[in-house]
Amino acid sequence: MITFREVFKHYDNQIALRNITFSVEKGEMVFLTGPSGSGKTTLLRLIYLAEKADEGTIYVAEWNLNHLKEADIPAVRRNIGIIFQDFRLLDNKNVFENVALALRIRGENDRDIKQRVYDSLKTVNLRHKTDGYPRALSGGEQQRVAIARAIVAEPVIILADEPTGNVDPDTAAGIMRTFKEINARGATVIVATHNRELFRNTGRKVLRLDNGNLAGEEIA
Amino acid sequence: MSLPYPFRTAISSMLHEKWINVLAILTMAAGLLVTAIIAISVYNFELLTRRLPDKFSVVVYLKDGASQEEVKNVVNFARKNNSVENVTYISKEEGLNELKASLKETEYVLEGLEENPLPDSIELKLKTEAVTPDNVRNLTTALKELKGVDEAEYGERFLSSIYSLRVGMKTAGLAFSATMCAGLLFVCYSAIKLLFYRKLQEIETYKLLGATRAFVRMPFIIEGAIMGLGGGLLSFFGLLALYYLVVLELSLALPLLKSITFPVAATSVLPIAGLCLGIIGAFIAIGRIRY
Repeated sequence: MITFREVFKHYDNQIALRNITFSVEKGEMVFLTGPSGSGKTTLLRLIYLAEKADEGTIYVAEWNLNHLKEADIPAVRRNIGIIFQDFRLLDNKNVFENVALALRIRGENDRDIKQRVYDSLKTVNLRHKTDGYPRALSGGEQQRVAIARAIVAEPVIILADEPTGNVDPDTAAGIMRTFKEINARGATVIVATHNRELFRNTGRKVLRLDNGNLAGEEIA
Repeated sequence: MSLPYPFRTAISSMLHEKWINVLAILTMAAGLLVTAIIAISVYNFELLTRRLPDKFSVVVYLKDGASQEEVKNVVNFARKNNSVENVTYISKEEGLNELKASLKETEYVLEGLEENPLPDSIELKLKTEAVTPDNVRNLTTALKELKGVDEAEYGERFLSSIYSLRVGMKTAGLAFSATMCAGLLFVCYSAIKLLFYRKLQEIETYKLLGATRAFVRMPFIIEGAIMGLGGGLLSFFGLLALYYLVVLELSLALPLLKSITFPVAATSVLPIAGLCLGIIGAFIAIGRIRY
């Protein structure tokens, strides 16, 4: 589903990723770990095309990202549900509209949108916050809205950048349960986290990054 | 049934940024109103000057003692000319009678004349479209060269002045309209650009979630269209109010104003012009969306 072959990424003179090669199979749930600044976010950004690799080849689903036309980028992104580190919720839209946005972009009709948004908010236990605005929500609630937005369109790939960074252990456990459920439904999930507790003894694949290098690939 | 999403987004954005939008709509309305007033003035001047050729004629004065053959030759020459509508021979007696008739009560000034001082003449009425300074000058020059012709006269200075004024008014009107349209386009462009920059973060999120260019652009295009249409409609109703409530009212005291022609159907183009300017301005403002 996702393949990196000898991928390099630089920012000015600083190397962010060095000779990264790995692959994630369809339906797999993979953890991407490493200390802050190790390149986790950069790697995810390469997958959802917020950045372009300087060298190497990246495949996402059926697309070779090296040969992708600019006009095809939205189509690739519509196959990916992203939970951004800073959530990227829209302050001028309520919770319902924030989540619905992912479906509106895909051209879904209003009736379907309503049902699917409610289902998605129910999954993250935020059905009662439908009319609230992001600024009125706690960090954990905002994170769950971001998750609801990422999963509502049932994309084939879910990318989560530090999805439990702002939440208490119980909420974090809840969020991880949600990812497992989504993964069980067939989605490929990549969770970037520096919190080792999240994947300890899960039996999932863990990609360990260190200073831009892929330092290890192991089963937790 | 609710409005499609891009319309809802555009309307909610307009309400959210109401002062920018109100200002842009009022500026559009004022600009279009002034342009329409200028256009109507040019149109009225054009109508006025278009009526002048009906009263315009060239008078050919014949030499005393011009032969029948020479007179016939002049008449035939005039009739064959494409610019001439009709030709009337006026004998010196008819000329004097006309003069007396035009003098009315002051006819006594002609008393004491022992002989008719007027020459025989030929009056040429020209076709409306042929009344241009160059054409009339060429015709009179050709007429003067014919045998038996003493003089060929027309209001050269008057015709040239009117013609130059007409061309000048038209050119100035067009130049003003073009400048005004460019200015109004810039108003729309600036307003949409400002709104676009204010939403840059939001647009970035849309793009990251997989929004197409059309999805991002559409609300701004709709906003530009509403802005332009709003300005156009305001200017249209403003113009109607100006004509019916001000010009027609004033014409009771100033009858000259009654002669103003107000092309109602043509002014209905204002909302369409506003709409087009709004859409084009928005398109330019958004430019190419890069991923």
